[in-house]
Amino acid sequence: MMSSPLGQHLRWAKLGSGMMRTIIIAVLVVFLLFPVIWLVTTSFKERIDVFQLPPQWIFQPTMSNFEYVFDKKPIEMWTLNSLIISVGTTILSLLLGVPAAYTLARRKFRGKSLLITSILLIRALPPVVILIPFRVLMNSVGLIGTHTAVILIDTIYNAAFTVWLMVGYFEAMPVEIEEAACVDGCSYFRTFRAIALPLATPGLVTAALFSLILSWNDFLFALSLTSPPSATLPLGILSTFGMLSVGWTYMTSMCTIAILPLLLIALFLQKYYVQGLTFGGVK
Amino acid sequence: MLSRKGIFSQKYSLYWMMAPLFIYLAAFYLYPLIYSVYIGFYEWSLGDATKTFVGFRNYVSAFQDSQFTGSFLNTAIFVIAAVGIELTLGLSLALLLNRESWPMRILRTVILLPTLITPLVVALTWKALLNPDIGALTYYIRAVGIDIGRGIFVERGLAMAGIVLIDVWQWTSLITIILLAGLKGMPIEPYEAAYVDGASRWQAFRYITLPLLRPTILIALVVRTLDAMKIFDSVFAITGGGPGTATTTMNFHIFKVGIQHLKVGAASAMSNIFLLFSVLIGLFIIRSVFLSARRKGGAV
Repeated sequence: MMSSPLGQHLRWAKLGSGMMRTIIIAVLVVFLLFPVIWLVTTSFKERIDVFQLPPQWIFQPTMSNFEYVFDKKPIEMWTLNSLIISVGTTILSLLLGVPAAYTLARRKFRGKSLLITSILLIRALPPVVILIPFRVLMNSVGLIGTHTAVILIDTIYNAAFTVWLMVGYFEAMPVEIEEAACVDGCSYFRTFRAIALPLATPGLVTAALFSLILSWNDFLFALSLTSPPSATLPLGILSTFGMLSVGWTYMTSMCTIAILPLLLIALFLQKYYVQGLTFGGVK
Repeated sequence: MLSRKGIFSQKYSLYWMMAPLFIYLAAFYLYPLIYSVYIGFYEWSLGDATKTFVGFRNYVSAFQDSQFTGSFLNTAIFVIAAVGIELTLGLSLALLLNRESWPMRILRTVILLPTLITPLVVALTWKALLNPDIGALTYYIRAVGIDIGRGIFVERGLAMAGIVLIDVWQWTSLITIILLAGLKGMPIEPYEAAYVDGASRWQAFRYITLPLLRPTILIALVVRTLDAMKIFDSVFAITGGGPGTATTTMNFHIFKVGIQHLKVGAASAMSNIFLLFSVLIGLFIIRSVFLSARRKGGAV
């Protein structure tokens, strides 16, 4: 097909060809990769190599920065705090969001579209708007500075995202399977648990993955609601970024540690990650 | 179907399944929002024993505060610039990567990278890269002869461009990925017909690709606009809102007043204005894009 004259034409439907295309793509890829390569290479540099101009791309790598941050900084504690908050948020978001999404997808009732609209609207909510009163609330119930406070506020956005994703997912599943499986009677909850939920596993993986990513990457909420013992990785990293850039080597090695888990998980679950990103964009 | 009676029967299970979510949202989302409306009418700093009722004074002061109105303008400039550039670049990149071959498949994985990196890490990386004295990128920019004065984040006129650049770096791929998914589902017949009729490449793009891709572009636009309005991390970590107030966005300004200076009353008034604005934009977008897509049986 592609070798026929028409096929040749069809290829023009895609932008550019040959050299020009390759050059544009190369420039864009360099633009997208350059900062990450700088970050990772710097974390393996001696301090003296960091300040070299022009920047040194080939150098004698060292592990000393990693040794230093593991030795002198409470990086295990920060990582653990990040982990507790992201896993906690993910579990809570799925527990709250998935059953609600199932009902919203399968049942008709008055006010349903209003409910869906108000849940969608959470996406438009500026974080700081909820943060100010939320902090006052956490202050008065004594939860300020705890993991729980951050989990509770992260869950607002993540549960909303889960509902949004799962309503679409459940709606796309043929209802006949659930009906057929339950001809001889089973409760609504059992239909959900035993039939719909296993069928929706790919959607659940996507929802969990996004909840993990969003809470792992959160900065504003952790900044405003944690105390030093519950500080997360981004806060720890910020504290190593010195005014006179002395801390660059440590900062970059901590950044490398912070981004590695997500990169690995997302690479491993790439299909689900792309599904979550494009969700809403296509049928 | 109705074998079990009582509270867990079909009729009530509807509420049981949704109750946890709505109880949670009522306590930690709705209640704080209502509380925010309430304290917006008080002069109150966190730690003060008493709140003083001041009516609409916080709102009046907010509109008289040039930092607040300026932050509104800065946010608008940021969103329009960042999303505009991301959309243009993202669409071009999607068209470039839209073919089935192994290098393209690898590239489609590679471009996911920026979207996965913690925004604060992204901010600190760019802060180092664009350091006025020893930043690697500053060095290359000066080497090719571009005048950036004392440095991108030091110059009043360039700082916002720097913040936009970082956002473009991180989120252009998102738009590309969304649009690629849209392109994948495109029918081939219109192109066949068009080329048989002697249409040019540009005409095919303008009159076939663009209209067919419109719903997908709209959704990418919405997703990015709503998220761009939340810009905070890079402003906090790189410029601290400066130089002067050149990069003070709404999120950042309200954070400063409410969380750093603990002026909860004043900050609440500002965030209520911000909220009203966001809700209006959000409602408009949801009504026009998402719900209409649902009705047509299309995408949500």
